[in-house]
Amino acid sequence: MDAFKETLLEELGTRTVFTIPLLGGIPVAESVVVSWIIMAALMIATLLLTRRLSVRSPGKVQVALESAVEFLNGFVKTNIGRHWRPFAPYLGTVALYIALSNLIGIFGLTPPTKDINVTAALALMSMVLIYGAQFRYNGLLGGLKKFAEPMPLLLPINLMEVVIRPLALCMRLFGNILGAFIIMEMLKFVAPVVLPAIFSIYFDLFDGVIQTVVFVFLTTLFTGEGIKEEE
Amino acid sequence: MSIGIIAAAIAVFTGIGAGIGIGFATGKASEAIARQPEASGKINSALLLGCALAEGTAIFGFITALLIIFVG
Repeated sequence: MDAFKETLLEELGTRTVFTIPLLGGIPVAESVVVSWIIMAALMIATLLLTRRLSVRSPGKVQVALESAVEFLNGFVKTNIGRHWRPFAPYLGTVALYIALSNLIGIFGLTPPTKDINVTAALALMSMVLIYGAQFRYNGLLGGLKKFAEPMPLLLPINLMEVVIRPLALCMRLFGNILGAFIIMEMLKFVAPVVLPAIFSIYFDLFDGVIQTVVFVFLTTLFTGEGIKEEE
Repeated sequence: MSIGIIAAAIAVFTGIGAGIGIGFATGKASEAIARQPEASGKINSALLLGCALAEGTAIFGFITALLIIFVG
């Protein structure tokens, strides 16, 4: 039991891969390096997939890409409303990044979303997006007034939500990935053959995709709530 | 050590609430889809949102239990 706890503790901590010898040494964590790998993979995929685009005779790849973008745009449009245009690219990027980070455990790399700093950064970005959009499209006064909706009595709850929303977003993603990771480690400890492969389908594939959808969906919904005008 | 383990177990009891909540939500959603199959898209997205929020409590309990075990 103690040996297991030791290995688990080791897995929980964020490992430092190397240190940049500048300003007294900047440690670079494993999640950052895996994020770089994901970024590189996404960039290469983008460059390869968007070659030879044409209006007159679209290939199979182009049609698939177009329907994916169309799906994303439709999703954002139904949830945010009239001002959907600037939000779709950001939300799509975040969705691709989180999905790849959750699924990269299959290739034997540590998922970056297992590091709480990564999910905290993502949640902070979502918070800036939600409240930035609220003030951008309603003006300063209108944005402040949004906090007193649907009635002024709810003002303290709305103000508390400024903190609670990103905290919940961050903890939900982190807790899910970490929980799945711990259960997988326990399984590998108990039965190293066959069984982990079966459970990996649920914990790595299914859970990773679901959490991506939930994160992006909640961000979109909160953003839309802040800027939708009542008819 | 042993009292910490018991505290962690109590923290994980939040899972009961999340389980009941998600069970109710899914049951009602399947009832709604049975009544109006054409509205299943909207029902599904509302269900997903509700489940995510209900699951949040279980996750908080889980994180608290982990903190108690590994940090406290």
